[in-house]
Amino acid sequence: MSITNLLENWSDFRQQHPSDDRPHREYKWAMSIDLDSCTGCNACSVACYAENNLPVVGKVKFSHGHSHHWIRIERYWDNDGREFADQGAQFLPMLCQHCESAPCETVCPVGATNHTADGLNSQVYNRCVGSRYCNANCPYKVRYFNWYDYPTTDNVWPEPMNQQLNPDVTVRGKGVMEKCTFCVQRLTVAKSNARTEGRLVLDGEVQTACQQVCPTGAITFGNLVDPLAKVGKQWMTQQVELNKDKQAKNEAEEAAKLRGYRILEELRTYPSVMYLEQLRESAI
Amino acid sequence: MIENSFNRRDFLKVLGWGGATVALSGCGNTSVEDGKEFVTSYVQTADYIIPSIGTYFNSTCAQCDAGCGIMGRVREGRVLKLEGNPKSSINNGKMCGLGQAGVQAHYNPDRIREPLLRNGNKGEAITWEKALALINEKVGGVKAENVAFLTGGVSGHVKVLLKNYLDALGSGHHYVYEAVAPSIVRAANKKAYGVEMPRLRLDKAKVILSFGADFLGAWISPVHFSQQYAHFRKADNGERGVLVQVESKMTLTGANADRWLAIRPGTEGIFALGLINALAAAGLSVSGDVAAVVKEYTTDRVSKDTGVSTEHIGKLAALLKERSPSLIIAGSAAEGYAHGSQNATAIALLNQVLGNVGKTVEGSSSIPFPQMAPTTGNRLALQTLNDNMAQDKVKVLFSYGANPVFTAPVSMKLKENLKKVPFKVAFAHYMDETAVEADLVLPLNSALEDWGTVMPEYIAEGAQLNIRQPLMEKLHPGTLGMGDILLALLKQHRPDEYKGYEDFYSYLRNAMVSNKGALGGANADDDTFWEAALSHGVVKLVGATVNISSHVPANGLVVPAPFVEDSTYPLHLIPAVSASLRDGRNANEPWLQESPDPLTTIVWDSWVEMHPKTAAKLGIVEGDIVEVASKSGAIKAQVYVFTGIHPDVVSVPLGYGHEAMGRYAKGVGVNAFKILDPVFDKETGELAMHETRVKVSKAGHRVIIVKDEGPAGGKQMGRKIAVRMSSDKVNLSKEV
Amino acid sequence: MEKDIREDIAWAQINKDVLKSLESPRRLYWVILLIALAMISVAVGCEIYQYTTGMGVSNKNNSHVWSLYIATFIFWIGMSHSGTLLSAILHLMHADWRKPIYRFAEAMTTFSLMTAGLFVMVHLGRLWQVYYVMPYPNERWVWPNFQSPLVWDMFAIATYLSSSVLFLYVGMIPDLAICRDNIHAGWRKKLYTVMSLGWEGTDRQWRNFRVTYLTIACFLIPLAVSVHSIVASDFAMSNMPGWHVTSFPPYFVAGALYSGCAAIITLFIILRYVFRFEEYMTLPIMKKLVRLTFAIAMVWTYLNLIEFASVWYGHDQTAKDQLIFKATGPYAPFFWAMIFFGSILPLMLAFKRFQTHLPILFVVSILLNVGMWLERWMIISPSFAHGHYPWTWDHDQWPSLVQWGIVFGSFGWFTLLFMVFCKVFPSVSMYEVKEMVYHRSLALKHKPAVKGDY
Repeated sequence: MSITNLLENWSDFRQQHPSDDRPHREYKWAMSIDLDSCTGCNACSVACYAENNLPVVGKVKFSHGHSHHWIRIERYWDNDGREFADQGAQFLPMLCQHCESAPCETVCPVGATNHTADGLNSQVYNRCVGSRYCNANCPYKVRYFNWYDYPTTDNVWPEPMNQQLNPDVTVRGKGVMEKCTFCVQRLTVAKSNARTEGRLVLDGEVQTACQQVCPTGAITFGNLVDPLAKVGKQWMTQQVELNKDKQAKNEAEEAAKLRGYRILEELRTYPSVMYLEQLRESAI
Repeated sequence: MIENSFNRRDFLKVLGWGGATVALSGCGNTSVEDGKEFVTSYVQTADYIIPSIGTYFNSTCAQCDAGCGIMGRVREGRVLKLEGNPKSSINNGKMCGLGQAGVQAHYNPDRIREPLLRNGNKGEAITWEKALALINEKVGGVKAENVAFLTGGVSGHVKVLLKNYLDALGSGHHYVYEAVAPSIVRAANKKAYGVEMPRLRLDKAKVILSFGADFLGAWISPVHFSQQYAHFRKADNGERGVLVQVESKMTLTGANADRWLAIRPGTEGIFALGLINALAAAGLSVSGDVAAVVKEYTTDRVSKDTGVSTEHIGKLAALLKERSPSLIIAGSAAEGYAHGSQNATAIALLNQVLGNVGKTVEGSSSIPFPQMAPTTGNRLALQTLNDNMAQDKVKVLFSYGANPVFTAPVSMKLKENLKKVPFKVAFAHYMDETAVEADLVLPLNSALEDWGTVMPEYIAEGAQLNIRQPLMEKLHPGTLGMGDILLALLKQHRPDEYKGYEDFYSYLRNAMVSNKGALGGANADDDTFWEAALSHGVVKLVGATVNISSHVPANGLVVPAPFVEDSTYPLHLIPAVSASLRDGRNANEPWLQESPDPLTTIVWDSWVEMHPKTAAKLGIVEGDIVEVASKSGAIKAQVYVFTGIHPDVVSVPLGYGHEAMGRYAKGVGVNAFKILDPVFDKETGELAMHETRVKVSKAGHRVIIVKDEGPAGGKQMGRKIAVRMSSDKVNLSKEV
Repeated sequence: MEKDIREDIAWAQINKDVLKSLESPRRLYWVILLIALAMISVAVGCEIYQYTTGMGVSNKNNSHVWSLYIATFIFWIGMSHSGTLLSAILHLMHADWRKPIYRFAEAMTTFSLMTAGLFVMVHLGRLWQVYYVMPYPNERWVWPNFQSPLVWDMFAIATYLSSSVLFLYVGMIPDLAICRDNIHAGWRKKLYTVMSLGWEGTDRQWRNFRVTYLTIACFLIPLAVSVHSIVASDFAMSNMPGWHVTSFPPYFVAGALYSGCAAIITLFIILRYVFRFEEYMTLPIMKKLVRLTFAIAMVWTYLNLIEFASVWYGHDQTAKDQLIFKATGPYAPFFWAMIFFGSILPLMLAFKRFQTHLPILFVVSILLNVGMWLERWMIISPSFAHGHYPWTWDHDQWPSLVQWGIVFGSFGWFTLLFMVFCKVFPSVSMYEVKEMVYHRSLALKHKPAVKGDY
């Protein structure tokens, strides 16, 4: 235990929130979700279950509020009291926003959740003691706690269903908090392969499970630092800046023409997920 | 002789259970140190295998009939996850949630593991030899015309073998049954366009008007349509297509529409004719006979009949006239009603009038191998079989890929008629309701451990032959592929023809390789061609585009007046088809049960959708258990009140209410199939799914619905969460 | 002006009366002890069930990640401020009337803290790794997260507990010497001999004692304020609507003093009756205590109103919605009960008639504490039920019997500790009471002489 080590690396250990003089160096993983393309089909949610060893909790536990979907599809109506939902619904995939100034990271007593150098909000399962303060502080409530010991619970992974488990992802026992990791197991492999070849990960070389399965391609994921990456170009076109809680574009009239926004931005979480507003045809 | 274990090619012999240990030991439940688990290291691996790095193999999904290509990630001899096959023109590398659950169908704990012979009320395990011998004995002891084969849709080489087997028996009784099938649409399309399933170009349309076709959810080929939809919403030049959905109960596609119009059930045909009338009034040129047909369908009259406001009809007509090409699709409008064919014809007429035929309604590719082309199913087939069983004309019944005991309405008395059949064989994965009634149950390989070829009914781009290859060694030694079973049966009857094939794999390989010229492999040697076919997972076929014509019979098109309310059964029941559960075949996959329904967010149970006005009239609130009773039967379920449904309609999802099948399906929800009234489409004889009239009454108690949404329901409570803007304010061409 | 204590009580009498309380207990004592043990076993059973099955049995869920465990944890920490208030603060203010009652109040502090510490462990999903919160040497060089209010809690409570134990012990030394000198041989004599550290009451010892006692008291007062402020920052440092309120630290401290005083009243009445301490725990002292409680209650009410007003007149719509939900939603009965028990009921303490009416005071003090417990619960559950993100609202979550069982059992644990204390250590500070009698007699030197020995 070295105090010097701690003090030397303190500034690297935690950045309060992103700033222009401390930009991300090689990687900053970010996502953009086009709500006009999202059809609400739930394919991303099921793919996430398959990739990340998520337990199926069953009806009783679900009714108690113990649902366990790392990415959930929310469905909103804007009926305004009309007789029918005649303008359809709005579907929103909500997942861990990997906030640059994550409220969950500051409050974990044991430091089980941190910010990685490549811009992810990490969750360290074996360090977690289960105080659940991180979920208490998450405004989006996208963190999921293992309320029971699912690996030993009946009918969660009965033989031979346990053979489907992804060996790249820990199977969590009870008392541990978890959430979307931007498929960090895939990112690690991609980065490692790229490093072996002496380069950085190319855009499209690694996909999160949700992005890969989405039938309409509503999810775009990539490295915000890479100038060639689609996600970076989208953020730039939409004039959404990672480090700002009030986007400059909102002051300008031009803002009306841009669809990109982040959810609960005013809480200064600086999320890494940008949403593109759904459109509605004005002619009908 | 069939043996229980098969020689596979070398790479399938690789077997490793080490990965499972690693995955589970992370939670401290098993450990190598404890001596409870063993990590097996490979002494001699195949050279492409690097432990801990997955290898991807292509195959074809079997979760629904769309035939999407899948790519399975295989590690240490186990398939872990499925992705889409980028080489398949159907899904281009994407998938749906139902497809993802294919691994759960494969690893399902409730799969049957060995052949079972009925002894009283139980099934006793027997060997395949005995089972196949028994089949031959039973089949030999009856007349050929008393043998019946009931299947779902079949295609590819299994279809070929099946046909050959029936030929060998001398029986022509092959009933192809699909509980939820667009059979009326097929017939209407054939009449209107000359093609049963024309190719729909959603990506080319500027306006899509869908009459209840849930193309983003559960209709025909949802992944393919979803991809086209993405392009439709954001074309390269920045144009955005408009989706209008007209239906009596909101589907997933309806939820994505710019305008969702609730329509009185059955009046879709009237609406279509009214649109033609409005278009003609707005200046669109229509032929004389069409004008005569639509003359009476003025906007006011149509508005009164359908319940859609004149304003909306006017706007819609203006939109269709202005933006061309458009695409009008007939979905539940056709399948639901006794006049469904007329509805579909009226809708096809609308397409014709708008000039869409040839632009967004195209001819599909022909299939150069008609013997492998899909035989599609309908509900009439089951009717016919049921009648024959009732008259004791069926002595031996095979069932494969169908669960009629679950999906047949009670009014058919199918279960009773089944009991009249002395010998029933079920080829099944689970002990579902039909297998439970059978005398001999033969367990099948899952789709992820099977060989085959698949040709889906809906041809997305060019015709392609989809390959299904095993992604791993069989999980249970006692199961067999349908191809292997048919081959074994055929060897009894036509030994000379088939004895040269050791197993279905060799038959398949031989069949493919000997036709490699027509399959694009003329210049390659056998092995290269075969390896390439397996590696790609699809073989592109060269087929001519079928001509599409547009000669919708306008003369004599009579769309009946709107229904009259029945005071005893005042409401219409619309049994809904969800993307995950469909006809219930995948109900035992827990991911699907736990995946919330997109519109109601309900999990692990059935529900009755009801409009607030209807609920208020009946004094019902959300969570009340109600009895939904038709003339044919009654079911009880919880009420979900929402505004995505017409007040004259209640809707119950299909696929729930299994009484057998497995631990995740049994006892979950209620079976809406059961109470469907025996009303049939006049032209095709198909069961009209939306013609059931019901009455709803409170059953006494109330529950808290288990769903994902909270007390806020779908409201954002003034917070900027899911934001929407008007399309005229944005310029999509400027986006990335 | 009634006197707080008679000035003519002989010092030998004081010793005799207090030491009498250390005699072998009567049957009722054992009965209540057994009940306390039964309550503890309920809690232990529930905890074992929860430990082996998972936190889900508590009925907490993804929205309501905290519930009664944290509420009761804060409640017990709050109750612990009573001792510090009486011992330390009133000591500095030379309020003599605290002398007969501060000993058991101090004990109450210590045992409340010990009970609160248990809740920290019960609340964790993986309690067998609770030591991760502490900065212990480990080969991974991993520190706890010092930015987290829960880590501050750990330091603060550990410091407060150790300081309180020290304070209690040091304050008891002269009394332990009295016990040592007046008790017959046996395990008690050995215990007191060891614990009194050879106290002989010399001048020098008394002078050192005074300085030490004063130093610890001065040290303990800011500690007490900071501990509950830190515990309040568990909420105040969060962004949950209803929690993100800067007035929480003083509000919690006020609430802590409030519930502590109310608990002292309760125990005062019990001990006075059981040990026949009427001469020492007199009604005038009770009156002063009640008035103090009333004053603190009004301070608490004021801070409560400030919290509501700052939300009501503020621009944060989410916080406002949350407040309205608290007052009108499914938790409304508990919210209004809290208001009633916390702000309305103590008004009766302003009336002389009730200030010495012991039966009523007993009931009222318990109800005041119920109100304070409800206050903690109403901070936690409504905020989770109705937070920032509407999709995740859960208006229908209630704690399971497992949670109630453990909460219930914690009172048994506290009772057990307190009852053992009362029988092993003098629950009235003998030397301080003697001081008090002496001061009274000095005060009377200016008045006509009264009969009696000094």
